[in-house]
Amino acid sequence: MKSVPKQEAQPKPRLIVRLGVFLASHHILFSVLCCSAGIITLLLLPSLAKNTYLSENALIPGFANPLFSTEDAIEANRFMKGIEAVLANFIAQQIEALGAEVCYHKFIPRSKNFHPLKFFTSMTNDMAIQPNGTDTNFGINTIGIVRAPRGDGKETIVLVSPYNSQSVQSNELLSLALGFSVFSLLSRAAWLSKDVVWLSVDSQFGEYVAVSAWLNLYHNLVFLSQSVILHTKMYGANHINDGNSEKTEVMAFKCAGTMVAALIFKVGETRRYGDRDSVMMYAEASNGQMPNLDLLNVVHYLAVHRQVPDYVEGTANLANSIYSQALGVPTGSHGAFCDYQVDVVSLEFSPTFHVRNDNAKSLFRLRGGMLIEGVVRSVNNLLEKFHQSFFLYFLTAPSKFISVGMYMIPFALLLAPLPIVAAAFAGGSKSMEKPVDKLIEHSKADDIADIPQSKGGSCKWLQAAKVLLVIQLWAVLVSLLPYYITQIPDATPMQSTLIWVVLSIVILIALSVLFGSPYSAGVEWKLLKATLITSMSIGLGLMSIINFATAQLGALIVIPMCLFSRPLKASGMNFLPRSVLLASNIVFAVLGFPPAAVLIMKGMSKGSCSWTTDFGDFWIWMEFLWEWSSETYLYLYLVHLPCWLLCILVLLHPCRQLESKIKEDWLFGLGGIFFSVGKF
Amino acid sequence: MAIRYWPMAAAAVGFRLVLVLFGGDLHLASRPEVSTPLTSLRRLAEGYWLKQASVSPYSGSMYHGSPLLLSVLGPLTNSRPDGHHAHIYCSLIFVAVDFLAAMLIRATGHKLQMARNRSLKSIDLTKAVNDTVNVSAGDVASLIYLWNPWAIVTCVGSCTSPIENLMVVIMIYGACSRLAPLAAFGYVMATHLSLYPVILIVPVILLLGYGPDAPPPKVFLIKGSSASKSDVSDNDKTTRQRAVQQFSWKPVLHFIFWLFILSCHVLLLSSVILKKVGGLHEMFEKTYGFILTVKDLSPNIGVLWYFFAEVFDFFRNFFLIVFNMNIIFMVLPLAIRLKHRPCFLAFVYTAIVAILKSYPSAGDSALYLGLLGLFVNELAEMQFTFFLFFGYIGVSLLSPVMHNLWIWRGTGNANFYFATGLAYTCLQTVLLVESVSSMIKHDRKLRLLVSS
Repeated sequence: MKSVPKQEAQPKPRLIVRLGVFLASHHILFSVLCCSAGIITLLLLPSLAKNTYLSENALIPGFANPLFSTEDAIEANRFMKGIEAVLANFIAQQIEALGAEVCYHKFIPRSKNFHPLKFFTSMTNDMAIQPNGTDTNFGINTIGIVRAPRGDGKETIVLVSPYNSQSVQSNELLSLALGFSVFSLLSRAAWLSKDVVWLSVDSQFGEYVAVSAWLNLYHNLVFLSQSVILHTKMYGANHINDGNSEKTEVMAFKCAGTMVAALIFKVGETRRYGDRDSVMMYAEASNGQMPNLDLLNVVHYLAVHRQVPDYVEGTANLANSIYSQALGVPTGSHGAFCDYQVDVVSLEFSPTFHVRNDNAKSLFRLRGGMLIEGVVRSVNNLLEKFHQSFFLYFLTAPSKFISVGMYMIPFALLLAPLPIVAAAFAGGSKSMEKPVDKLIEHSKADDIADIPQSKGGSCKWLQAAKVLLVIQLWAVLVSLLPYYITQIPDATPMQSTLIWVVLSIVILIALSVLFGSPYSAGVEWKLLKATLITSMSIGLGLMSIINFATAQLGALIVIPMCLFSRPLKASGMNFLPRSVLLASNIVFAVLGFPPAAVLIMKGMSKGSCSWTTDFGDFWIWMEFLWEWSSETYLYLYLVHLPCWLLCILVLLHPCRQLESKIKEDWLFGLGGIFFSVGKF
Repeated sequence: MAIRYWPMAAAAVGFRLVLVLFGGDLHLASRPEVSTPLTSLRRLAEGYWLKQASVSPYSGSMYHGSPLLLSVLGPLTNSRPDGHHAHIYCSLIFVAVDFLAAMLIRATGHKLQMARNRSLKSIDLTKAVNDTVNVSAGDVASLIYLWNPWAIVTCVGSCTSPIENLMVVIMIYGACSRLAPLAAFGYVMATHLSLYPVILIVPVILLLGYGPDAPPPKVFLIKGSSASKSDVSDNDKTTRQRAVQQFSWKPVLHFIFWLFILSCHVLLLSSVILKKVGGLHEMFEKTYGFILTVKDLSPNIGVLWYFFAEVFDFFRNFFLIVFNMNIIFMVLPLAIRLKHRPCFLAFVYTAIVAILKSYPSAGDSALYLGLLGLFVNELAEMQFTFFLFFGYIGVSLLSPVMHNLWIWRGTGNANFYFATGLAYTCLQTVLLVESVSSMIKHDRKLRLLVSS
């Protein structure tokens, strides 16, 4: 019997456990250190950017002299001069004259879709919508295909030049002419080993719609039994009586091989006051996806000779890039290509010449053509898909990038304290009982029944987890609501927002009636906070993989909000820190609510505060997000909103636990007194 | 708990039915987490089609399951009603199978509970232990099985894992209630369907021999010695001695007898089904051989596919032996340490198999998590439950995201997905280690309580 305490002496816990306990006991210091380090490294990121370099040796940009000459530029001029009223037809004729294949693609604009889970499903599942003969509202893309003399027809390079068929601007004509001249050069090139597709996009419904419709048909080819009915709009009124046989041949949709890369180019508005022509690169696709860095490197190598920007400019670029990635909405029609895993970049030329200056124009055309030819030539050299260089990066300048290994550091630092704090809070409620437990075990008191009294604590968190699950269920329901609300005809954004808010509150009340109110089960606020922090770190971790920029921006808001959260009624602190904590809690609680945040941002940026329209703006913004099937929408509703609600629950926690215990003791005491009085 | 059991169970079954009937476009069957080359119903349909065309169902390396399943489920895969997902009849069967498995788990739980109460009573600890945590383990376990998202996904996702799980559960139930023929049936079928349950023969024989889980024999000995010091009536002594049970050979021999008969039956049936289209030899090669030699390297949530994709060809055989022996190595030590708790031993074995098998899926985890619920009273003091719970949630969300990044977006690569698999394996290992060590702690606590 004497040997019992020896046997029972607890073995020393493992080193890793002890380390965890040590960290958990200093969790406040640790989290302050980590968070501040994270924010500092985030600010340092622009100066940590490295120079870009070409990883893929096969690209060898600028290796061959460009063949694009003044004659090609003159051909572009001829093309511009000869343009007719019906552009699609004219382009097709010109392409046919080059001896290349040509076809049309007729499409109708897609209606708004609600695809919040598009990310998780494959892109190729949705079938292309075929326009039927009765539709009058459609666009026509014209496609020219050069078959490579040296290729096997398995791979393609796509060139895209958009124009608006309803009202053609002069700069659009210029980009069409540029595209045509490059295409005509490529149709004669002997070195070509990949097919070239030139897509002139009818952008009357927006570029993205047209490009994605074409891509959809390209990847989900439907074989139609009968040829598409001709339409006056396509050929113009004077062509309607022509022989139909050759035209129907034109109508059949033609394909080339898999796309290796795509290049979208357009000529922007003329800049009057710049000193030189410039090219803008746009690459952000949906959900912050970027093309392979090598493609951008090639363009940069061939186009640019301007030097490194300073810290401020780099920060501005970085912030711009993070913002557009975080929104999850593509910055142009290149987004459609990225959905099919095609590496793509949009180039926007901004010439500085006057529109009437023919000399400058032809020089510009020459330069643009040489650039495009050079890029095509580099891509043409590729033997494999782009894979060497980075996919996950931020650009601070065209020649400066921050790779994933670098930009993960601030995020990881921000995220690091979360598990520790969660452990501290989850273990905190247990550690209060441990001394009692040990005491009993050591003393081996007679009434053994007392020992297990303190046990069963390891599964206490189940109540908190239940609260979390109910809130997640609520979040899922709330995130689906906008889909049904938009079905209501003639609702202003303001009305829709109101309906949405009212319905979400109703659902919340219904759920709390169904599953019991969160406080009724007597969940400790510490456990609630531990659950909150754990769920948040899971959510942020997931989002950082889907769309890093969203997670980074979200972490900056959510992590302080959650770390600071503490019940307003909780006692046990001095007045000053407590009031500071209280104030910061309330500030974060307001800022963390998405509509409020949007409202404040709008109010700050505009200065004027027209309350109702701003509130409606939130709805419009939300609609914008889900129309583009941005995962930022899901993040807002399934990670951010539940976290915010849980934070509010923690803030409003009644902290009854101790009080009720005291009350019970008091009652016992009272009973004891009565009992003793009764004895007397 | 008991009052709310039936509504919860009914809700779980209803939820499954709703998913089966209306969740047609979830495409769960194509998820690597759900269906493996062994359990995919799509492959089964292909095998059935081949068999109908008088070709061996195993030709073309498509089907690797049992011929019995082929003749039971095969005809159902042929009829495709419009507007529903392809294998709706099979899915309805799987819902019923899951429900049956949950009922059997519940019955097993009740059996275990009764045995536990009896043994606690015989060492006078009923009050001490039961005051703290005494929930109906069977109800908890079967609700865990019914509401486990992975079990639901497996059930809806057109794969045959629910049937394999049911067979294991039948075996454990039969052994717990000492029904040797039932236990033999479950054992033979489970082994026939997925080979790995073959190691469960150890817990089954222990269960049949010693009866369900009890505190370690040492506890009874201590109790007996302390009781003999004090004055206790003879009546008490005899009950205590009865509690320490001797190994009874009769049910074990009975079990072995039935084992032979049933395995002969299964082989006979298989050869009848495969008559003219291939023999038993091909069946063994394409089912057991396929499992043991890890021929299919398509990604799954395990770790073997990645390893065998990387390993040099001339080391392949060596590592195949190492990985397969890995499971065998753990059988004996665990059996020695946990021989007084054979049901828990069965849980440990299924968990080990789920970690180390060549084509693991979420269905295997659903099984051992359900069985874990049977020991909710003993494992109430388990550590790290909070982090294990959230770890499982995190990993199961991470896995589809990583898969998407690799396969669809092309920005990730195989390492991304494999990292999830590693994290998942670590989580399972921690769960296993923690549950075993807290079970041992529980036994130690019982001993301390008795000896004090």
